[in-house]
Amino acid sequence: MKYLATIGDRTFEIEINADGQILADGQLLAVDFHSVADQPVYSLLLDGESFEANVSSADQNIEVLLRGHLFVVTVEDERQRRLRESTSAGPIQEGEYSLTAPMPGLVVAIPVEEGQPVEHGQNLVILESMKMQNELKAPRAGTVGRIRVRTGDNVEQNQTLLSLT
Amino acid sequence: MFNKVLIANRGEIAVRIIRACRELGLKTVAVYSEVDRSALHVRQSDEAYLLGPPASRDSYLRGDKIIEIAKRSGVGAIHPGYGFLAERDDFAQAVQEAGLIFIGPRPSAIAAMGDKAVARATVAAAGIPVVPGTEGEGSLRDEELLAIAPQIGFPLLIKATAGGGGKGMREVDQLQEMPGLLAAARREAEAAFGDGNVYLEKLISEARHIEFQIMADSYGNVIHLGERECSLQRRHQKLLEESPSPFMDDELRSRMGELACRAARSVDYLNAGTIEFLVDADRNFYFLEMNTRLQVEHPVTEMVTGVDIVREQIRIARGRRLRYSQDQIQLNGWALECRINAEDPHNNFRPSTGQLTSVIPPSGPGVRVDTGVYAGFTITPYYDSLISKLICWGETRGEAILRMRRALEEFRILGVRTNIPFHQQLLDSHRFIGGQFDTRFVEERFQLEQPGQVEGKMPLIAAVLATLVTHRETQLAAQIVRRSERDTSNWKWVGRWERMHR
Repeated sequence: MKYLATIGDRTFEIEINADGQILADGQLLAVDFHSVADQPVYSLLLDGESFEANVSSADQNIEVLLRGHLFVVTVEDERQRRLRESTSAGPIQEGEYSLTAPMPGLVVAIPVEEGQPVEHGQNLVILESMKMQNELKAPRAGTVGRIRVRTGDNVEQNQTLLSLT
Repeated sequence: MFNKVLIANRGEIAVRIIRACRELGLKTVAVYSEVDRSALHVRQSDEAYLLGPPASRDSYLRGDKIIEIAKRSGVGAIHPGYGFLAERDDFAQAVQEAGLIFIGPRPSAIAAMGDKAVARATVAAAGIPVVPGTEGEGSLRDEELLAIAPQIGFPLLIKATAGGGGKGMREVDQLQEMPGLLAAARREAEAAFGDGNVYLEKLISEARHIEFQIMADSYGNVIHLGERECSLQRRHQKLLEESPSPFMDDELRSRMGELACRAARSVDYLNAGTIEFLVDADRNFYFLEMNTRLQVEHPVTEMVTGVDIVREQIRIARGRRLRYSQDQIQLNGWALECRINAEDPHNNFRPSTGQLTSVIPPSGPGVRVDTGVYAGFTITPYYDSLISKLICWGETRGEAILRMRRALEEFRILGVRTNIPFHQQLLDSHRFIGGQFDTRFVEERFQLEQPGQVEGKMPLIAAVLATLVTHRETQLAAQIVRRSERDTSNWKWVGRWERMHR
């Protein structure tokens, strides 16, 4: 089976055929591939060379943490690529934006009010986590919609804090 | 003389203190919050008592409860570690009044050095240079600070009077932005220390942060254990420390060390403490503050001097004399410490919480790991993000760096994101290797490499790994869907499939 793996602006063609062999960028390589102790850690022997990496999926991508570098890899097979290429450009960026908590924490301050116009980069919520105050800023200009939390609330990760229209 | 010690802390430092007590044959008492029931310090101590709910103010900051537990469990002394109650003179005082020994300085010294404005005035009077700023006046109002700021000159720093660890600290480049930054600093200081007072200080450019470890006994002996280079910081939080400093020579070391001892004497200091200096490019140095406690980064000093600082602290508290004189202190080799934090370096160092699924610490020659976590332990958002300290020793700085690189690659932590990749890349940077850095290096001149910029074959290897994992998952999914073709259970089938591909 043929795959295309993209990292930044580089694309690698990788073909997985018979057991124990792959074709990577035109090179035929012997592969021995294991997950270690049921963890998202993989040991790879590639023509005898040994690599170990932490591999996890994030959104539509695969994140590979290898020798101190984090690689975000998009992997598609040929059918997926054709599908993507035939559909038009991505969705239009407008409508309501929901500010969610990037981490669990305590709402220390909400320096905006409902209905208030805000500029790009303006502080919306100040969230304390691990003793640090984190300023959550507006990703674009807009108007503050509904505020769903109050100062002093403990919030969970990904909980919606307020909306921006 | 006491034979049992209560450790009023958690995490790696509580474990470190338990180790020292054990080696001295002392019994230990741990205290813990509701979320720390299965923390390492609770598991390793001889006795452990619950303090209360997770938030620090309901648990590790409850000095009254801690003293009550100490009395009930019959301990003779309390070691505060760092953070929490370590630099609270009222707590140290209360411990003494309860008839217990506080393993640390006298309350008067904590008070004198704890209010940074008073500290600056005290050491300046002893002839030690200080950074220009609003010294001696702890509680100025915003209008007054705004009026004084242009006299000090920009850029300058707003710092919390009761502060430490970068909390309540803001940098100001021009007068216009100062009111907003003052409000933010006061708010953060109020939340962190219950005291919103701030002061101003001139920002020294190309500054290095170099600190001296001090030890003082109750017989008037004060020595220093050399310096630690702590310039590698992000948002005023130290990330990597080393001893000695690549910036230091013997002449400067003895001059600064002598002044550090003098600063300690000026407040009649007892036990372990640290004098922090800012050193500019022309080797002018200024007193920054004194930390009247054990430091996070004390292990690098232990590695190069051979002195067990925590054990000495306990010996001093038991009324013993220092075992070393100044000329017995020799720096041998080089040590580095990387602070391993539960933070995502690829996501603006955002705190990362959750259960640790796997922890495999490095080992081997010259490697030391001080940690408070283990696989299965959950990192909560209630306390700071330090989960482990990795310390490496080498005969030379170069050797220590190579060893640290090796150890970082061995260190496996799964379940939360850590800043290990940050350290790995920092140790590869030419400026770090060349010792060419100041306190702004990490924030202004160091960036994590973008995956697209990485050269060599690693991108291809990453692509192969990602593809193999994807391939495996699609195959698994496809086979699970074709259920009717199989006569056994799915689990059995997956097990066989896994074995076949092993």
